[in-house]
Amino acid sequence: MKSNIFIVLALLYVFPTIGLAQTITIFGKVTSEEDGIGMPGVLISALETGNSTSTNDLGEYRINIKKEAIVTFSSMGYVPQEIVVKRSMELNISLVANLNSLDEIVVVGYGSIHKSALTANISRIEGQDIANIPVPNFQETLQGRLPGVFVADASGKLGDGVKVRIRGTSSISAGNDPLYIIDGIPITSSGSIDNSNPMAMLNMRDIASINVLKDAAAASIYGARGSNGVVVITTNKGFSGKTKFNVGIQRGYSSPTRKKKFLNASQYVALFREAGYNNDLAANKDPINSPEEYPDSQLQFVDNLLDQYAGHSDWRTGDVNTNWQDQAFNSDAGVTNVNFSASGGDDRTKFYFSSAYDKQEGILIRNSLERISGRLNLDHQLSDNFSFGANFSLSSTSTNTLPGDNLFNNPMQLVALAPISPLRDLDGNLYDRPTTIYYNNLIDSENSSWTTSSLRNLNNVYGEVKINKELSFRSEFGLDNITQNDDRYFGSLTATGQSSNGYGSSRWIKITNYTTNNYFTYKPIIQGNHDLEATLGMSYQNSETRFTSVDGREFPLDGLKTINSAAEIVDGTSTLTSSSFLSYFARVNYSLEDKYLLGVSTRYDGSSRFGNSKKYGFFPAGSLGWIISEESFLKGNAYLSFFKLRTSYGLTGNALIGDFDHLGLYEPLPYNLSPGLSPTQIANPNLTWETTKQFDIGLEFGLFEDRISGEIDFYNKTTKDLLLLVPVPATTGFVSQRQNIGEMQNYGFEILLNSINYANKNLIWRSSFNFSRNINRVRSLSKDQTSIPPPYSSYLNGIFIDQPMAVFYGPKYAGVDPDNGDALYYANEDLSETTNDYNSAAKLFLGSPNPDFISGLTNEISYKNIDLLFLLQGVFGNEIYQAAGSYYSNNAYWFDNNTVDQMERWQNPGDITDVPQARLGQCNGCSASSRYISDGSYLRLKTISLAYNFPEKWNNKLKIQDAKIYIIAQNLLTFTKYNGWDPEVGTEALSNSFANANLFQGVDLYSAPQAKTFSIGLDLGF
Amino acid sequence: MPSKVFHLPFVFLFSLLTLSCDSNLDIKPSQEIDEGTALDNDANIKSVLIGAYANLRKSDLWGGRLLLYSEMLGANNEIRWTGTFTQPREMLNKSILINNTFVTDTWTAANSTINITNNILEAIPKVNEVDQDRVKGEALFIRAVVYFELVKLFGQPYIAGNTDVNPGVPLILTPSRGRENNGIVERYSIEEIYTQIIEDLSIAEQILPDTNGVYASSFTASAVLSRVFLQIGDFASARDAANRSINLALTNGKNLMTNYADAFNNESDSQEDIFTIQVNSQDSENAMQLFYSTPEFGGRDGDVSILNSHLDLYESGDDRLLLFQERAGAIRTNKWRDPNRNVKIIRLAELYLTRAEANFREGTNIGATPLEDLNRIRKRVSLPEKSSVNLENILMERKLELAHEGHILHDIKRTKGFVTDNNDPALKYTFDDPKLVFPIPEREILANSKLIQNPGY
Repeated sequence: MKSNIFIVLALLYVFPTIGLAQTITIFGKVTSEEDGIGMPGVLISALETGNSTSTNDLGEYRINIKKEAIVTFSSMGYVPQEIVVKRSMELNISLVANLNSLDEIVVVGYGSIHKSALTANISRIEGQDIANIPVPNFQETLQGRLPGVFVADASGKLGDGVKVRIRGTSSISAGNDPLYIIDGIPITSSGSIDNSNPMAMLNMRDIASINVLKDAAAASIYGARGSNGVVVITTNKGFSGKTKFNVGIQRGYSSPTRKKKFLNASQYVALFREAGYNNDLAANKDPINSPEEYPDSQLQFVDNLLDQYAGHSDWRTGDVNTNWQDQAFNSDAGVTNVNFSASGGDDRTKFYFSSAYDKQEGILIRNSLERISGRLNLDHQLSDNFSFGANFSLSSTSTNTLPGDNLFNNPMQLVALAPISPLRDLDGNLYDRPTTIYYNNLIDSENSSWTTSSLRNLNNVYGEVKINKELSFRSEFGLDNITQNDDRYFGSLTATGQSSNGYGSSRWIKITNYTTNNYFTYKPIIQGNHDLEATLGMSYQNSETRFTSVDGREFPLDGLKTINSAAEIVDGTSTLTSSSFLSYFARVNYSLEDKYLLGVSTRYDGSSRFGNSKKYGFFPAGSLGWIISEESFLKGNAYLSFFKLRTSYGLTGNALIGDFDHLGLYEPLPYNLSPGLSPTQIANPNLTWETTKQFDIGLEFGLFEDRISGEIDFYNKTTKDLLLLVPVPATTGFVSQRQNIGEMQNYGFEILLNSINYANKNLIWRSSFNFSRNINRVRSLSKDQTSIPPPYSSYLNGIFIDQPMAVFYGPKYAGVDPDNGDALYYANEDLSETTNDYNSAAKLFLGSPNPDFISGLTNEISYKNIDLLFLLQGVFGNEIYQAAGSYYSNNAYWFDNNTVDQMERWQNPGDITDVPQARLGQCNGCSASSRYISDGSYLRLKTISLAYNFPEKWNNKLKIQDAKIYIIAQNLLTFTKYNGWDPEVGTEALSNSFANANLFQGVDLYSAPQAKTFSIGLDLGF
Repeated sequence: MPSKVFHLPFVFLFSLLTLSCDSNLDIKPSQEIDEGTALDNDANIKSVLIGAYANLRKSDLWGGRLLLYSEMLGANNEIRWTGTFTQPREMLNKSILINNTFVTDTWTAANSTINITNNILEAIPKVNEVDQDRVKGEALFIRAVVYFELVKLFGQPYIAGNTDVNPGVPLILTPSRGRENNGIVERYSIEEIYTQIIEDLSIAEQILPDTNGVYASSFTASAVLSRVFLQIGDFASARDAANRSINLALTNGKNLMTNYADAFNNESDSQEDIFTIQVNSQDSENAMQLFYSTPEFGGRDGDVSILNSHLDLYESGDDRLLLFQERAGAIRTNKWRDPNRNVKIIRLAELYLTRAEANFREGTNIGATPLEDLNRIRKRVSLPEKSSVNLENILMERKLELAHEGHILHDIKRTKGFVTDNNDPALKYTFDDPKLVFPIPEREILANSKLIQNPGY
């Protein structure tokens, strides 16, 4: 990077030294590249003569210079442009905003601050950078763009959850999701039906900026909910001036990033017959060479089953070779988006209005998402002292939903079916069991419907009064209302509805979440070099969830799908739960001589989720900053344009647990249709917050007039009094009790580098690079407890002191015994002995699902009217456990189709291979072990886009302000050694509680790969 | 300063908001009630008793899996497991892992059921006096049957001797609430557990009413008591308990069904049922049906299939053979075919066979001669009556009559038999093989330092 700069600088100095002095005149208009509006106050100076001028209010200028002089156009916050001028001419210049600018405004809780004065660690991205990315929710767009923010989509299913971890996992049994704030209001980010993601209900084109509050100095103002970081989003606002309309349209096609290779029909037949024959040989039978032993042999058993699985066809002829994997994917997957916005206003009233339609057809069959959204943001200045405004948004989202990954009707599970099974019988009906080994869930495509539709209304209003010049008061009220309906109908041919003439269910959920924030901001006018800003306020939030469902069966025909037609109502429920937070907060920011910065903030938080004696918690934080480049010894330094050191320490909390975990409760549990009561949990009246102490030290710098800028942070986060579900002996009648016990540590560093590698009139090349390393360790559990070993025999994630959270633990696979084809495991810790007995294998640590580091590199090259952008994103050093490996890579244990690598199985003494001998019905190496763990590191070309901006001439002709045509590709290339589908996995099927979601990380159980999307789009502004 | 006046309303508004909210932090759940309220009056305690049955009916217990475990451990190469669940497969292969979730869940559900009964037993004085005996009897019954199931699966067989030393399970007879009674209790001896079971059931038999709808009655208690005595080889007591149960059941309208097949797939208790777990469309789980039945009847994929080696045991013309049917590519038993049907726990036929065996072993004819009882069973399934009887006849009849109903493992153990391995027929597990005993769940060993693991794990 550095060398590029030198080339640029060298070129700039070489060219202008030719020619004679001769005075010429240039004139024109300087506009901002972003909005085309004239820029006042731009400094225009000629290098040699030293004469200079500035643009007027409209951005116009006129200057006399020597011929072939270098003219510099510069303005604060913009990349300066240098141009060699040979003759008198009109020269219109558009300046590009310097994104490296260290003086942008960042949004903090209950206010905003200039970045240079910030003493906390906050990462930020602009809404316009992510607006056109073809993904269903904004969380996925954060991937690779922000240091310290790890994002993983649960799977390629649309509308499901996205895991966002800011500076690691801090909790074992409570939630680890950040707090999301939109326009000052904490929004509902979980709790909708099943695995649906409430974030998918938001239109990401309305986002103006996303600020991620990472350290204690930033997050402690959100107190008991700041431990997992805070994502603060602001939505677009109107500008005064001529109303600007924007119209965008995008259409794209999607396909899976990766597929796996499974056996074809002839390989399948060969492998399974071999497996049966091997069993016969072991029992001293040889049905091939001694045909009289064929009856009742295992080989005959296999042949009979192959006959069954082949349906009307004959597997011996090899006519049928069904690729079931291809059946799981939708060949018409893609995205469509149409959006419209208008913004404008005058000095008193500003507005932003938008409306958008999004439709995504998932890469899996039976999976799509459709969203219609609208927003109106209004701000009005009533008088010099009083302003108010309101943001209203409404979105309607409809999803064709898929079941959990572990269910037979997950399309990905089609891969288990035998390639010798034809799709349909001779009458054209889809084959089902017993011809297919398991349920053929393609029947669901023809005979079921599952729609989740949601209506989300996110509103907030505010009023702000300037009590005097120094003191203002702001009151905000926000309402976030989600109404969601989930209607399922499984027809009489589906596995779910088969035995009951159809099965239907209808569920409704309503989540009402309201918040009020009221705070004073005090900004005294102090003489001298002092600057002070103080905030004091309170906040109250209440969230209420109402759920109703009814299930029915026995439908007269599959055309009648609503519960109204069900002859038998088999289940019905309605529930209500709520929680509330009452908080007081205060913050003081002080700066001396714009060099020495001090920040103190605190929050006093109360929540209904905690025991009576421990309802309130106190969360203070302090931070210091020193802008060294303002000191006399550095000021004016040619290379180091900005240098700041900052540090912070403070407390934050986590309250992501159930609403009533502190009470001893009995729930209704009926028997024989009579109402009964049954205990559910033990009381803990002392239950309170999980507390995180975080230390952060960072430096920010700018080099060469901020052409290169960056931030480096080191942090150490220790979470104490974990809200741990402590296992208690079942002999108490319970399995766990929520207690405040245990400790977890996250420490690491983050690097962010921004540079403008090259900039002149025609070509600008910018780069942004980030790198984050987080080390996660469980430090203590409850008294005398050293581990929570893997709770299920088919999974390997466990919790061990001084190991990363959810580390893989279990038998280590040692390959295959060359003499007999037995699967081997290491029998001892130093790996010197092996055993073929799974139960006597040594249990060892097998790797961690947490990445060692994550990184992202964005390059943005603008040449004349063409913009090229690409984002490379990488996750490194994590392991993935393919839980479904014991079904599809099990050397023909049972009749599930196997992956093609299983053809490498051991066959004869002396064979050296990793795949054990095929033995039907005998688990030879199919149990959970490191055999199914592989490196999950990957590097992805996450986003690449190429845009062409219409030249001014065209725009004028078309009577538009600007226009852009672009192509964009998401997940275009993936480089990984992972041998499953896609290395970006999350097992939502096991994530039914916070504790499980935290534990079962890096588990791939028939998880859908990510979508690779290729789109073309047009944006018009007029 | 003039601004001060302007200032005041906001300060006022601010304090108002601040003060009005505090009480809103006190939110009570809507779906649950406090533990104190649940046990403070007659109606609520009776609801908790219903809750105890609801726990007993969980699939981890008599909702079906307890029966399945016996069938899997005692598979004897007569049935095959082809399902995707690894937990039953580990049992079939006699290689159970210490974190087998079926084993863990059963341990957990059993102990929480015991805790509920202990809570009820402590609260008996608050129950209306007229109902105290019934409520107490039912709670004792539930506690006893859960301990009986636990000790059979997690302890060495009683018949293997050393019962004062061999560990059974922790014995807990007082309720746990909050942090009182932390559950850190050692395993009591097999003998102590059985003593408690017999004591509880004996009291229950005395104080329970003669009939009690679908809930435990006096003859249900004596029926289980006969099982317990049979298991420990006290044949005289087993005979007497079975005889008492039969007599009381018969006077209350119970009888064998005329047609064998009619004894199964019943929506409500048949006249042959001594005790069942109630299943209905609202509360439909029946773990035996789930695994033994086939998709068209709402089962899984037919995870359990019956092998010819089992069918070969029947005499030709046996009506019981009619219950075997080829579905979903293999032979299935129709005993668990239909969805939403009760889980059969004790049928009258079992009591006749118990009485026959116990009378035969004791050389007595209490209630009926062994031959009469045996022929009663044979006649119903269209088999020729026998003219003489030996122990082997009775045990074989018992095996076939009660096949796939969860008896096989416990009968093999108490008769000191063996289980043949499914993969290698030459391999036999003797009745006291540690592999036929469940491991104490790993999570429990970690949570309770006083527990010792079973041999072989």
